Amino acid sequence: MQTTIKTSRKYLATPIFGVAMGVAYLVALSVAGQPVWGVLALAVMVAFSGALLLARRRSETVKGLLDHRDERISAIDLRATAITALALIAVILVAFVVQIARGQSGWPYSMLGFVGGVTYVVTVICLRIRG
Amino acid sequence: MTLGASQVRNDVRERRVAKGLSQADLAQRLDVSRQTINSIETDRYTPSLPLAIAIARFFGMTVEEIFHADHN
Repeated sequence: MQTTIKTSRKYLATPIFGVAMGVAYLVALSVAGQPVWGVLALAVMVAFSGALLLARRRSETVKGLLDHRDERISAIDLRATAITALALIAVILVAFVVQIARGQSGWPYSMLGFVGGVTYVVTVICLRIRG
Repeated sequence: MTLGASQVRNDVRERRVAKGLSQADLAQRLDVSRQTINSIETDRYTPSLPLAIAIARFFGMTVEEIFHADHN
């Protein structure tokens, strides 16, 4: 019974994360002295999360992306995430090269590249150990 | 779906139609999306071993009776 409840609520994770990010935007912009923009950012994230929940009822793909119960849609999600990461890596590398060519330090792209590289190596090691 | 030098075909559509089920019916029984059933039937997606076993069990058959690896 507990497993059923846990599974049935899994689809809420992404919308809740979206709202949490909206709250983080609100706090950050309020601290920066721009509370109106903060409220607007929160409203956008709440609307986005609500749209996801509504779309879940009409789209098998959105439903699968949210609850991860369909292995094919989960595999599509994984591949899309990997391609997104490749695009970001390419942007970071190009931006880093452009910065150092201009005689700058390469910050923050050097740090982003470092974090990405370390994350990849650690993940490969962990997944190999897990089998 | 290409798996190395082999390709996996399946008889899911024939078995489903023989049982008088729609893709949506079968998807609901297997707890996957209708799109996934369609992709499996058209050989655009090769299911994982657990899902292949679930499909075989649903039709009361073995995995080998439904899924066929064609070695090139």
